[in-house]
Amino acid sequence: MNARPASGAGLGFRRELIEPLKSGVPEAIRFFEVAPENWAGIGGKSARDLRHFSERYPFVCHGLSLSLGGPAPLDEALLQRIRSFMAEHGMTLYTEHLSWSGDDGHLYDLLPIPLTEKAVKWTVDRISRAQDTLGMRIGIENASYYVAPPGAEMSEGEFIGAIVREADCLLHLDVNNIHVNSRNFGFDALAFLDALPLERTAYVHVAGHHVEPDGLLIDTHGAAVIDPVWSLLEAAYQRIGPVPTCLERDFNIPDLQQLTAEVEIIARLQAATRQWKAA
Amino acid sequence: MSAPDFQAFQRDFARHIRDPHHTARPAGVPARRMAVYTELLFNNITGFLDACFPVCRKLIGETRWRRLNRSFYRDWRSQTPWFREIPHEFVRYLNTGIVRQPLPAWFTELAQYEWAELAVDTMDCPTPRHDPAGDLLQRPVVLNPARLVLACAWPVHRIGPDYRPRRPQATQLVVYRDGADRVRFVEINPVTRRLLELLAAAPTTGSEACRQIGSELRHPDPQQLAAFGSGILEDFRVRGLILGTRE
Repeated sequence: MNARPASGAGLGFRRELIEPLKSGVPEAIRFFEVAPENWAGIGGKSARDLRHFSERYPFVCHGLSLSLGGPAPLDEALLQRIRSFMAEHGMTLYTEHLSWSGDDGHLYDLLPIPLTEKAVKWTVDRISRAQDTLGMRIGIENASYYVAPPGAEMSEGEFIGAIVREADCLLHLDVNNIHVNSRNFGFDALAFLDALPLERTAYVHVAGHHVEPDGLLIDTHGAAVIDPVWSLLEAAYQRIGPVPTCLERDFNIPDLQQLTAEVEIIARLQAATRQWKAA
Repeated sequence: MSAPDFQAFQRDFARHIRDPHHTARPAGVPARRMAVYTELLFNNITGFLDACFPVCRKLIGETRWRRLNRSFYRDWRSQTPWFREIPHEFVRYLNTGIVRQPLPAWFTELAQYEWAELAVDTMDCPTPRHDPAGDLLQRPVVLNPARLVLACAWPVHRIGPDYRPRRPQATQLVVYRDGADRVRFVEINPVTRRLLELLAAAPTTGSEACRQIGSELRHPDPQQLAAFGSGILEDFRVRGLILGTRE
């Protein structure tokens, strides 16, 4: 299929949304995002539904299981499958989390990488091999975490910067993750943003989160985006321009109208950035 | 060469996530924060298992079901990166792992049966070219590729809250995805299973398959068997298990 790069504002593609989307994709939604781990290599109705939309809209491929910082051998078979999945659906961007997700077996969630020199080297090597197999630069996402692994030799900003530079990869900026981590670890979100290699930003995520009774923030993608996160997105756009941005919503999924209202906010902020840049 | 030092943390962290009640929390990690991971990750897994195995869960009850989910997460090393295959890993664990928890004799087969529905629903197999109206006896038969055959020692399709079999009863089921993408189950007998095997193994006409079965069974009346086979083939075509014949 012809390549369709994503631009503007997009939405995470979910089965729950397929029927409402079939009766009309709202104007504000310019692309969709899928996890290859949920959609590659499937047949039947799900596959036909995905094709229906990927023939009409750009899709971004956002991975979950590659375990870039993990101890197990890099899954080359998964990468090959992702490569053909992206070609089948005209996708031009693949991003993964800067995290690890298994030991000698999959744990199926994202865990924090210790911020050490050796971890930089290890992860850079794996990102480089992933880029070789996919034949393109990939984006790495700043992840949310609840534990700061002991023995850090650098700040997280330095860690991400070193990896992006040495692997010559792209940055996938998640502003909700910055907000969640800044609250859970008591740092300044804007200062963190400025410490990232923003000039490499290819893609942005925005999402809602959950607040525990004791105040701990959990990155659930199960609630509406809150104002401080919108402000952070705006601040990011002022620095990097209106980079393609996806609204993630994975739990407590509301109706399409409510999600569209949030995608419209992304689109408005992007338009405002364009005007601001032009002025 | 020894593993990089940061991997020692990863090993301890992963081990504690797999088995939070019997392993030490990694040094320097606060309990409250560790608990976020142990809960999030286990809930994620049970979400996939609960969705795929409602009957298994109901029949052994919540406590035993969660204990089994935990031993799976703790002891089994899932190799699939695909989330939808987590239930398949669970079936593999039941089949080949070391499961110390006492379970009903039919439990693993029941799990396999529940997994088959999910597997067939998302099976990736393009529909081969075929003539839907072709003569099933005279032309090579084209089977629906989105199918699984389950050969069970227990009548898994009848097991439920009101029926827990005490004695085995050999049961063969075909699970397939019909033209409307709905998953269907058909109980078959060993002769019908052999018929499907022959049709699947190589391009074979209905008549050839029936002749082969007749000779294997030393059937006294091949014509009667062919008439019987023809009825089954037409029935399977109506159900969508047979697509038709080669063009």
